Amino acid sequence: MVAHDKKRLGILLVTPALIFTVVCFLLPVLALLLDAFRVGGPDSVDGAALHWGVDRFVAFFSEPLNRQVFMRTLRIAALVTLFSALLSYPAAQAIVRVSPRYRGLVLGMMILPLMVSPIARTYAWIVLFGRNGAINSILLQLGLADEPQRLLFSEMAVFVGLLQLLLPLMLMSLVSSMENLSRDITLAASTLGANAWQVFTRVTLPLTQEGLIVGGTLVFTGCVTAYVTPALLGGPKVLMLETLLYQKVSVESDFGTANVIAVILVAMTLAVNAGLKRISSSRSST
Amino acid sequence: MKEGLFSRAILWLVFLFLLGPFIIVFLAGFSAGETLAFPPTSYSLRWIFEVLSAEEFQRAFQTSLEIGLLATVVALLLGVPVAYAMSRMPPPGMGAIKQILTSPLIVPAMLVGLGLLRHFVLLVDAPVFLGLLIGHIGLLTPYAVRVVYASLVNLRVDIEEAAITLGASRSQTFFLIVLPNIRSAVIAAFFLAFVTSFNQVPVSLFLTGPGISTLPIEMLGHMENSFDPSIAALSTLLVLFTMAFVLVTEKVLGISKYM
Repeated sequence: MVAHDKKRLGILLVTPALIFTVVCFLLPVLALLLDAFRVGGPDSVDGAALHWGVDRFVAFFSEPLNRQVFMRTLRIAALVTLFSALLSYPAAQAIVRVSPRYRGLVLGMMILPLMVSPIARTYAWIVLFGRNGAINSILLQLGLADEPQRLLFSEMAVFVGLLQLLLPLMLMSLVSSMENLSRDITLAASTLGANAWQVFTRVTLPLTQEGLIVGGTLVFTGCVTAYVTPALLGGPKVLMLETLLYQKVSVESDFGTANVIAVILVAMTLAVNAGLKRISSSRSST
Repeated sequence: MKEGLFSRAILWLVFLFLLGPFIIVFLAGFSAGETLAFPPTSYSLRWIFEVLSAEEFQRAFQTSLEIGLLATVVALLLGVPVAYAMSRMPPPGMGAIKQILTSPLIVPAMLVGLGLLRHFVLLVDAPVFLGLLIGHIGLLTPYAVRVVYASLVNLRVDIEEAAITLGASRSQTFFLIVLPNIRSAVIAAFFLAFVTSFNQVPVSLFLTGPGISTLPIEMLGHMENSFDPSIAALSTLLVLFTMAFVLVTEKVLGISKYM
């Protein structure tokens, strides 16, 4: 086949998907994001003329509640990312050492939670943390509490729920990057006198950096854009950006603020993605 | 070997943390009580039967099934040609095209739902079902591209060239040589995409309305105004269903290779 024809066929094959993505996805989302910068206009409250600007963002961040939600989202996402990495490193190390016989089983156990509906996964924590839940009945029976404690609708509940939801992503990224790391290298380091901590910080960590970055991005953006878990375990009191967005639209029909949150969410995920690309490209060039 | 023991202990803790909650859902799902309590005072299949016969859950299940199957098929029809072109005949501007096609993975799913609602359903007055379907297709297409592309890269080009040299046309080569060889990747992509659609909440939130609701959205709605164990029962069924599904696909296809 002639190179020219091949090129034409290539274009032909990607065209349907390209048109679909642009028309049905990119344009509606871009219109949504642009709306956040459109201020005033014929149906505005004070009759101001239509213009473009960041007024809506200034208004959004001048509200203490919104600032609080923004900071809470960052804080929870950072904590979940940190804890998932701390737990995943030793766990991933154990997984790559599992004998091939049980490997499928272990990988299956890792994937299963990812395939189960987030509602079913989050629901377990409602059962555990609820007023008549397992933790409260244990506390009461042991005499550690006189009345049921309020465990649900707290930042702690959201943190635990998100950690369980997203930990498998970090685990999978670290397992795949550790598989490429030969066992001989760490063995050589310890033979040459490095202690376990030195082996980890000077050998394992730099060589699995890629997996850590990919896993960290997935977990962080997963936290920022999660809806079900914060909605069910945080309730209306512990709002995160995505639950605030939903509330603005469905309860208050406040599309203006929703657009602003949309821009913030996209900016956050883009920033994390760009940071990832930068770190991994600077690593491969050195 | 002290270090190995430590990491094994952490692994068991992690698995307990990830899978333990499912046992709790099971126990709550088989509760006989009127309201949700843990541990349940007595056990029965009462709530399992209750949710299986509930009309609103049946209808939502059917919608989820329809949307999931339709969206998955369309996503594969859109995605497989892209994966094939990317691996065999990259068109000019491949980098930009790839960026556009994978953008649904970067944009938070809820914005897709909101964008489609405002600039598609409300503006053009398109039917809600169509909006819902389009949102799901957009979300699933990158998955289809990624999984199928991974297996096409590993498939040797020689056999296709041999077929062409022997007189087969491009389309004959694709359907008779390439497709049978990437069959398991296509099936894996199908399952992954279907499960993703079936469990999807943020895209569907704004796109479901009176009369049209997917199972997860119906579950969320039910939770808001009722404290009975029916969601535990439904979650139990979903977990069991997924477990069987994962076990079978992992045994047959080794789905973990594609994730």
